[in-house]
Amino acid sequence: MDIILTINGMQKNWEIAPSDTLLAVLRREGFFGAKFGGCQQGECGACAVLVDGRPVNSCSILAAQVSGHVIETIEGIGQHPEQGWKKTGGLHPIQLAFVESGAVQCGYCTPAMVLAAKSLLEHEPNPSEEQVREALSGVLCRCTGYLKPVQAVLRAAAYLRGEIVPPVSERIEAPEGLFGDNQSGDFSPEGGMPGNASTMTRIMPQISLTPQTESWRQVGKPEIKVDAVKLVQGKPAFTADMEMRGMLIAKVLHSPLAHARIKHIDVSKALALKGVAAVLTYKDLPRVVYSTAGQSDPIPGPLDSFSLDSKVRFVGDRVAFVAAESEEIAYQALQLIEVEYEELPSIIDPADAPKPGAVRIHDEPEYVNFADSNPEKNLAAELRIDIGDVEKGFREADFIFEGDYEVPKVQQAHIEPHVVITYWDSDDRLVIRTSTQVPFHTRRVLAPVLGLPMKRIRVIKPRIGGGFGGKQEILMEDVAAHLTIATGRPVIYEYTREEEFIAARSRHPMRVHLKTGVKRDGTITANEMYALSDTGAYGCHALTVTGNTGHKSMALYVGDGPYRESPNIRFYADVVYTNTPPSGAFRGYGVPQGYWPLERHIEKIARDLNLDPLEFRLKNALRSGEYHPFSKSWSEGREPRPEIIHTVGLEQCVQQGKATAGWDQKYNNAEWRIVPGKPNLRRGIGVAMVMQGTAIPYLDMGGASIKMNDDGSFNLLVGATDLGTGSDTVLGQMAAEVLGVPLEDMLVYSSDTDFTPFDKGAYASSTTYISGTAAVLAAQKVAERIRVRAAKMLNARGDGPEVTPDDIDLADRKASAPDGRSVTMSEVGHDSLHHSDQEQIMGVASYVSPSSPPPFAAQFAEVTVDIETGQVTVEKLVMAVDGGVIVNPVLASGQIEGGMTQALGYAVCEEMRYDEQGLALERDLVDYHIFRADEMPELETLFIETFEPTHPFGVKAVAEIPMDGVAPAVGNAILDACGAQVDVNPTTPERVWAALKSGNRSGFTRKIEQ
Amino acid sequence: MIIAYHRPKTLDEALALLARSEPETLPLGGGTVLSRPGPGRYAVVDLQELGLNQIEARGGRLEIGAAATLQQMYAHAGVPAGLRQPIRRETTYNLRQTASVAGALVTADARSPFATAMLALDAVLVWDTGEETTLEVFYAQPERRKKRLILRVAIPEGVSCGYEAVAKTPADVPLVCGAVGSWPGGRQRIAIGGIGGAPFVLREKTGAEAWGSFDALIDEKLINAHSQLSEHINLQSNYFKSTILILVQRLTAGQAVE
Repeated sequence: MDIILTINGMQKNWEIAPSDTLLAVLRREGFFGAKFGGCQQGECGACAVLVDGRPVNSCSILAAQVSGHVIETIEGIGQHPEQGWKKTGGLHPIQLAFVESGAVQCGYCTPAMVLAAKSLLEHEPNPSEEQVREALSGVLCRCTGYLKPVQAVLRAAAYLRGEIVPPVSERIEAPEGLFGDNQSGDFSPEGGMPGNASTMTRIMPQISLTPQTESWRQVGKPEIKVDAVKLVQGKPAFTADMEMRGMLIAKVLHSPLAHARIKHIDVSKALALKGVAAVLTYKDLPRVVYSTAGQSDPIPGPLDSFSLDSKVRFVGDRVAFVAAESEEIAYQALQLIEVEYEELPSIIDPADAPKPGAVRIHDEPEYVNFADSNPEKNLAAELRIDIGDVEKGFREADFIFEGDYEVPKVQQAHIEPHVVITYWDSDDRLVIRTSTQVPFHTRRVLAPVLGLPMKRIRVIKPRIGGGFGGKQEILMEDVAAHLTIATGRPVIYEYTREEEFIAARSRHPMRVHLKTGVKRDGTITANEMYALSDTGAYGCHALTVTGNTGHKSMALYVGDGPYRESPNIRFYADVVYTNTPPSGAFRGYGVPQGYWPLERHIEKIARDLNLDPLEFRLKNALRSGEYHPFSKSWSEGREPRPEIIHTVGLEQCVQQGKATAGWDQKYNNAEWRIVPGKPNLRRGIGVAMVMQGTAIPYLDMGGASIKMNDDGSFNLLVGATDLGTGSDTVLGQMAAEVLGVPLEDMLVYSSDTDFTPFDKGAYASSTTYISGTAAVLAAQKVAERIRVRAAKMLNARGDGPEVTPDDIDLADRKASAPDGRSVTMSEVGHDSLHHSDQEQIMGVASYVSPSSPPPFAAQFAEVTVDIETGQVTVEKLVMAVDGGVIVNPVLASGQIEGGMTQALGYAVCEEMRYDEQGLALERDLVDYHIFRADEMPELETLFIETFEPTHPFGVKAVAEIPMDGVAPAVGNAILDACGAQVDVNPTTPERVWAALKSGNRSGFTRKIEQ
Repeated sequence: MIIAYHRPKTLDEALALLARSEPETLPLGGGTVLSRPGPGRYAVVDLQELGLNQIEARGGRLEIGAAATLQQMYAHAGVPAGLRQPIRRETTYNLRQTASVAGALVTADARSPFATAMLALDAVLVWDTGEETTLEVFYAQPERRKKRLILRVAIPEGVSCGYEAVAKTPADVPLVCGAVGSWPGGRQRIAIGGIGGAPFVLREKTGAEAWGSFDALIDEKLINAHSQLSEHINLQSNYFKSTILILVQRLTAGQAVE
């Protein structure tokens, strides 16, 4: 049928099918700013456009319905201000505010947010924060925590009202005395109304600076994200934002059974369907065993996966691949595949997996063990770590406390689903354009799976719409690649949201037992954790995730006095197979699973012994100069090497965090707990202290190359994988600092296995530290050549004393002699390429660290509990973080805010559940709720800088640590509010209610006084 | 799959299309449900040019056109203030811009805040035949979606609405929700959402009556609902019962204490 659409002021006839959604038509016609979030109920809003000025989800409306209406897409809103001779109006003020405010992280939902803001501001030029949050609430964001988008809209409103808006870079330091009474961080505009949030909402986080940073011009500054301008315009930057002639659509037939053998499979009817190009089953593919985990070689886990197998091991496992001319035909083909299954007994409860007589999930002969995996016992990994003499420590304790805890399986829920496009290039090399955190691992792992030499595979990572560990996996690239090999044609495979829930990876659920020995004075004498970890049907990340559960959480409290010298710590874990979707990597990588039990347990002990919970924790916590207790015992399945921790800002985090949270006024305060006029409500405040890691020592490697151009700009090529975090920007800032140029002169590109140096990928909180050091080292090589040439150029002038390269200072785009004479970077670049002793000034470097300096944090949470229904409302989250030197405070605080928000879901609502047949109960973002803009608590981030001596700019990591403390802090705040001991996460109303009804006020399963 | 799209300009034209047996033809309000890929092949009749998006007071009732959007209703001055919260919590801001009132009621499941509140207000569906069906009766009919075309949804004027819910987060789908409609003459009606296939009326009373005990009533509803508990609900019945009682107490401002 034909319709008339007016899009961005242009009227055009379109030929569509009656079933076409507006989203399908827009993307087909190149309006890639409207994104496909995989959802089928319109719950994510990433596809929103304006229809007659209102934000409408284009996936949830037929194209035919909007015929005759006025449509605005992001492509019609603003443009890059510099387009050669053509003058443009530049970015729209809303886009400008988003860019300036750090509101663009992965950028996948940004166009929809910008449009929602435009709709609001066109009828409400002076909106309240509440109105802004309401307007943005139709668009889910998994990266930002919504704070910066809200601030951006308020800032944009001020621009549009013609007000003078202060620069984002105004920094508020956090010295002694902290932040006074102005806890909100808002300050009144000149002539503005106090309390009117508008333009003055503070964007820079509160920060306590190290003295080393004072002279730096790039590092430590809130530079604009290098990809923000492109993303805010909705440019076709993501994997699926491209059209290729003849591209086929891939779909996968997923298993309806939790455990079965395929007795018979007939694809003849599907193949006969017009428009079907290929149908593949296990019979068609070489049987190559591998691990889907995106990790360095050798994979520290069992090899237990095949592209397609004759056995299915969970509901959602792969049965067959289809490539067809359209999505509709592909779905029809799936329905025509006839499969006869022999159903096998299944294991859904992990406690059943190791029982004698349990069905064996992995009985394939190709299975390759790693370390202590044992498929005969359904054991993907086993950990037995003993540090010191744990039994002696328990004997020396005055009290032994034991408790049981549970943490759920949860979904990464990045708004961009997994997506890949594969095609043969003109050299018959297979190109894999994929939304991955691990492009180099993808190439290495897939080569044998596809039967191709590695050199004939090129992996391109475009912009990524969030990953959070879910894309540290070679999850579905093989599907499209096999189909491209089978058909010779380009293939796109994009997960639906349901597939994300039934066929992607998730966080390992665990059941944890803790046993802690404590002296009367609060000295921890021994600490023991046992974890039963559920890896699901495959063992990807089984060992390393669960190892980190102990490695990062149980390392925090070493004890005091002699125990500090020789801590007694035990961490045992069994990682078992079940017939549920596989677990895998998820931001935090096992550590949140450790801190829920640990910090709930520590809180209970403090209360039981009547100890101040902050002092009790700090008394036993790691201090600078001490060994990481696990560094002598375990290192992700590799040889451990002792490591000293140089910087621990935990005490300062506690001091500043508790002042901002109002801890002293609120904790254990019966009067404050009462909510006037609301007898059913109780307030509470809770805390958790946490540590993470920064990279994997002696293993993680990042590379960088920098070349200088004629105009004094530089190309920085990194294999590091910016998945929305801003790592391209902070790497560029560090290199720019070394080279003495502004960030805008660094052209950063990541990542392409053909063009960029190797990098292990975006995981383990390593990019700023590892890849950043590589960028610095490469910049230092380039800087050295610039100094040599600049000295030569200055000496050739003969207008001053002779200078040597060591005399030359690089700053302000100049190479300057001590007497003030200088040559510009442009002059150096031009001279080096065209005029004398021509050379390409270039530096290549890589870095592997012997250290993994942990960031530390104190997380505070304030809640209100309805003691009649168990409903918990989290009112405020304050996180004080020692992440070393902060390279970009706005981007880093965005990481903390987004991480706290993700962790908030982990604390109160997110949970993946299965019925007895292994069917997922949550399959979309309606039933699996993630936080929206209009229901957020107040978020506060404080950076407590330390200077980490193992990095040239003193950095540690901030990416994962915000996942760790929110849940236990919320759990402890609930305890403070009403005495409920909730030991199973998340703290749903029913669980809180049940805990209130329970008689166990101590929360321990056992307490012994010795 | 949608195989044909029609946008009639008159009601008669729309009714003629909807009366066809082949292909199956369905009315299309906002399209938020029918635009999803699904089984079957059917035609749709878009209601947008039939004038069915008006909201007006008439004959002591607020009549809401079937194609009026949830956002229109949310913003309408004649809508009881207490109804705004359940409308807001029904779906996201963007979807409220297109989701139609009739469509939201017809496709509602037990967890629908909007349907629960409309049930408490004793909402009436007005069909193209002129026939009227209360929402309560509609939800009791398994074949409720097979009727022809809803033209309007009506709620009585002057009736206030109270709404309470328990959810894991403020904007999450409620685990349990309840609403009360209160008429000027003292009539009150409590509806509960969260269990079973659709929200249900827990009890209704006149001004002269006392609420009495809810205990046995809730037990009965829970037993009836148990066989059709939503897969999304895995709560213990004692939690449901306790929470429903609490919500009832709150909705009735403490009148119901048993």
